[in-house]
Amino acid sequence: MSNEAALIEAARNGSAAAFTDLVSAYREGLLRFLLTRSSSFADAEDALQDTLINAYRYLHSYDARWRFSTWLYRIAINNAARMKSVDTVELGDLSDDGDGPLRQCIAASERENLWLSARRSLTDEVYAAMWLRYVEDMSIKDISAVLERSVSWTKVNLMRGRKTLDAEFNKVATDEKSKAYG
Amino acid sequence: MDKLAKQLRDDAHRIECSVSEELDDRIRASLESTQPEAGQRIRRESKSFSFWWASSLTGVAAAIAMIAFINLQVPDPGLVATESNPQPLVIPTVQWHTETAVLTSPLEQEFEDLQADLKKAEEAVKQDIDRLF
Repeated sequence: MSNEAALIEAARNGSAAAFTDLVSAYREGLLRFLLTRSSSFADAEDALQDTLINAYRYLHSYDARWRFSTWLYRIAINNAARMKSVDTVELGDLSDDGDGPLRQCIAASERENLWLSARRSLTDEVYAAMWLRYVEDMSIKDISAVLERSVSWTKVNLMRGRKTLDAEFNKVATDEKSKAYG
Repeated sequence: MDKLAKQLRDDAHRIECSVSEELDDRIRASLESTQPEAGQRIRRESKSFSFWWASSLTGVAAAIAMIAFINLQVPDPGLVATESNPQPLVIPTVQWHTETAVLTSPLEQEFEDLQADLKKAEEAVKQDIDRLF
């Protein structure tokens, strides 16, 4: 039995400590992902907390045929969507550019972060698919399971997302080149 | 890994956020006050299995009772089967001396061309997708 499987078994038997160990590797990635889908940092933190509590409570429904991260992200996306539908944006969270808390957490750089461009130009689902593919290294099959979409939908939308971001990326590269040459 | 994929990964790591100690404490406290719903699925399965048996037995008993009831009934002497006397059906035949007009052949050709174009486009998209993933 792998370490992850042993921790899952222990957590199913009621060990909160085993569950904490189990999710420790995923917490930061989940928070980063939820941050891109929430209207404030506090909302992202709440969504992370809800995700982990729900995962612990319903751990018996986890099917070991899937990767544990796939299952966690499915719960996270559902939580974020639910929060978004009932949430009203607080005045303090409104930013001029509409990027929300994401911009505040991005390290200062000369070049715009591609995920900010993605936030503006892609739909929530395509954004999530791109994130799961290029940050979490998930397979197409896992991504379609997380998003509850067909494999072909996932492939086509990843290609569209790539095409959109590729255009942004090349535009930035061209601008930088022309600046360099004056 | 291509340039875009590398840039996306690097940019994701430039999003600076970490789970604060306060949030960590909050999560830990919530987890400790929560109990996983263990074994509920198994109980539900065993319940549904006994339910299946009960409903099957009830169905079989009902079917047996119905068959016995029908077989024990005495036939009504008032009901006598009568032989039907069908009238022969005459269908008038009309002799048509016409030739089929070939009006659709240009449209069919056009349709085939369009289908071929569509197939080519589909293959091109499939190749693009396969090359990427």
